[in-house]
Amino acid sequence: MNGWCGKILRVNLSRGESSIQDVEPALLQQFLGGRGLGAYLLFTEIAPDTDPLSPGNFLAFCTGPLTGTHVPTGGRSSVTTLSPLTHTVFDCNSGSQFGVRLKWAGFDALILEGAAPEPVWLEMTAAGCTIHPAQHLWGLEIPETISKVESKDGAAVCIGPAGEHQVLIASVMDDAGNAYGRGGVGAVMGSKNVKAICARATGPVSIAETDQFKFVDYEARKWLNASPRTSQGLPEFGTSVLVNLTNWYGVLPTRNFQQGEFEGAHSISGEELRDHHLTKRGACWGCPIACKRKTHTSQENGEGPEYETIYALGSNLGIDDFDAVIEANYLCNRLGLDTISMGATLSCAMELAERGFLKSDLRFGRAALLRQAVEDTAYRRGLGDELADGSRRLAEKHGAPELAMQVKGLELAGYDPRGMQGQGLLYATSNRGACHLRGNMLGPELLGVPKMVDRHAYRGKAGLEIVLQHSSAVIDSVGMCKFAAFAIGDEFFARLLSAATGAPYQVQDMLLAGERIWNLERLYNLRAGFTRADDTLPPRFLNEPLSQGGSRGGVVHLDEMLEEYYRFRGWTQDGVPTPAKIHALGLDLLAAQYPREAIHA
Amino acid sequence: MLEEFQSFGRDLFLRGLTSSHGGNMSVRLGDRVLITRTGSMLGHLEEKDLIETSLDEMDSSVMLASSELIVHRAIYKNTSALAIVHVHPPHAIALSMVERDEIIPIDNEGSYVFHKIPIIQAELTTGSKEVAKLASAALREYKLIMLRGHGCFSIGAVLEEAYQWCSSLEEACRVLCYTRWLQNGMHTGAAGGLDLEYRKHVGDYQKW
Repeated sequence: MNGWCGKILRVNLSRGESSIQDVEPALLQQFLGGRGLGAYLLFTEIAPDTDPLSPGNFLAFCTGPLTGTHVPTGGRSSVTTLSPLTHTVFDCNSGSQFGVRLKWAGFDALILEGAAPEPVWLEMTAAGCTIHPAQHLWGLEIPETISKVESKDGAAVCIGPAGEHQVLIASVMDDAGNAYGRGGVGAVMGSKNVKAICARATGPVSIAETDQFKFVDYEARKWLNASPRTSQGLPEFGTSVLVNLTNWYGVLPTRNFQQGEFEGAHSISGEELRDHHLTKRGACWGCPIACKRKTHTSQENGEGPEYETIYALGSNLGIDDFDAVIEANYLCNRLGLDTISMGATLSCAMELAERGFLKSDLRFGRAALLRQAVEDTAYRRGLGDELADGSRRLAEKHGAPELAMQVKGLELAGYDPRGMQGQGLLYATSNRGACHLRGNMLGPELLGVPKMVDRHAYRGKAGLEIVLQHSSAVIDSVGMCKFAAFAIGDEFFARLLSAATGAPYQVQDMLLAGERIWNLERLYNLRAGFTRADDTLPPRFLNEPLSQGGSRGGVVHLDEMLEEYYRFRGWTQDGVPTPAKIHALGLDLLAAQYPREAIHA
Repeated sequence: MLEEFQSFGRDLFLRGLTSSHGGNMSVRLGDRVLITRTGSMLGHLEEKDLIETSLDEMDSSVMLASSELIVHRAIYKNTSALAIVHVHPPHAIALSMVERDEIIPIDNEGSYVFHKIPIIQAELTTGSKEVAKLASAALREYKLIMLRGHGCFSIGAVLEEAYQWCSSLEEACRVLCYTRWLQNGMHTGAAGGLDLEYRKHVGDYQKW
């Protein structure tokens, strides 16, 4: 095959066996690969009432048809599972070279099912998988683990202590700061007793139409080079370039989203990071944008932080001590924790404590307590055992669920939706919870990509949001990075996809595949029992206007947008895809084969 | 919304992209379409000039809506477009009369933005089912197409985007026309009228 491999490597950990299976080309064409393939596999193999941390769940690492090709940003892959944090369909996307090696080994997916009786690590090549004992690795942090399993012709990912302790906000990571970050995928890997996976391969990806591929690749690079976001802002500052911008707009989450403007923003900004902490710029495999940072403090060296981490461990905790924020980020990277959920759970705890719901010394601005809190979370010690389960469970336990800034259990990313109406709709409707990576309105609402729209308007946002949701599903599935979309339009992705695979995708065919993926994810969540009532936001965003800053006075007009959103999608006002929509997307057969879903719908 | 229509409508007219009463614009709002009134002046749009109608069903508002409503509806049904602009840019129309299947821009902006602009052809060129079918099919792959002898249809996520493609189209076509006139003897320049190609992969543009 071209672009795709047509093969899945399936490892049954309970039995200690692996096998290589063929994948139907039609299936790959329909769901593209990556996130789309993962959604299909989850829908067909894992019942939504499965305990996510039981052997009945799986982890499916999936590559896209452009993963491992030399297109700009073509180093992305995903992992899909039933999330223990949200109980929704869940996939994480990463620029780790592990995904590239997995693809080079000749696989569209690596599925881990069952659970090993003892800790193991996996070594995979084109020939299959070897299971090694990993007692000697258990307990190690991420960098030490990687150094013990990675080889010259391979790339590895692993869990840290957080994953081992089945912390619900644990990540799967490599040692370069690349993470399959959110939703507790690290806890799922820990529940399977898998400490690490190394993929060993060097082969190239077969391309169907090499001349056309080179042409479109060349044209895409021209655009990436011409766009100020991808050629200047991100390379110069990394994603932290957004700190001063979001603060200026009044949407930089501050003190558990009580404000949208942080008085200490400049101290934790991209400019500050570049001027005082930057050691070296870096990039994911195959990426010319290079938004990653090797950094240092007065005490330590490491990777990052990204914008989202700065919001979560900085402004949202009321902390402007950049050394403390950066070192907390390093610690999360070593222990294998999702920095967004870690920070947003801590901010929840701080507000609970300040309002008297929780007995703790945690307070906004107390940077000195940060490090210990992160460690306690990873090892489930003391209050850390509660933090380890995320903000929703924490706030519910202490009698103030409204103080958890989450949707469907996933903590919000770093944009206050009261100053970005479309982002509010995104958080409410994203299939994996309050995620910014599923149709980010940062582009149209703050950066003017593709065009600047009125960020405070809510009428007309639904259509735009839906288009972006489908585009993001496509990009996650083909194996490229969403930052590429700051420079190139859908037509580039479609032409690269066509040239790589030889399957003729018109732009609209490709976007239809994105819509198919989105709807399949939705159908899975409906099977899991989610309803319109879950497509909501914490009451703070609906009822409490911001009192200061560039988004002063705003609340999210969610009901108005949601009604338009469902209508636009061809769903009922209960948020259920209609039979006509299911038919139009070619999902009839799947819907019929899974009657519980059909009954629910 | 009216302000957007007024702003882009005025610009389209003042930039010479359409005549006083020519052209039309629309946006999609879920299963509704907001489109300019038939016979309205894009340079002087008022509230009464915006007609809301159904995406799928015929209703009495078709008496007022642009004659190209049928084309707009077909485009919305077949693509992810949320905005459409249709105008009559003169240089682009002229080129559509001499090029067979596509216009290949030679200027920098046109090359980046379009690579190529497909030309479709119909016997009945205004408000016809044939145009609706051909235009909506071509716009599944391209963001702007030319209807031979008539004008362009462009799509976008917002009106501004669809407007931009029309503006870039006419500029690209103007440059192409000027260059050909110069090459045809009016002024050969120091290069003697030869092409001074600056782009890599230019031979591949037709395959875009």
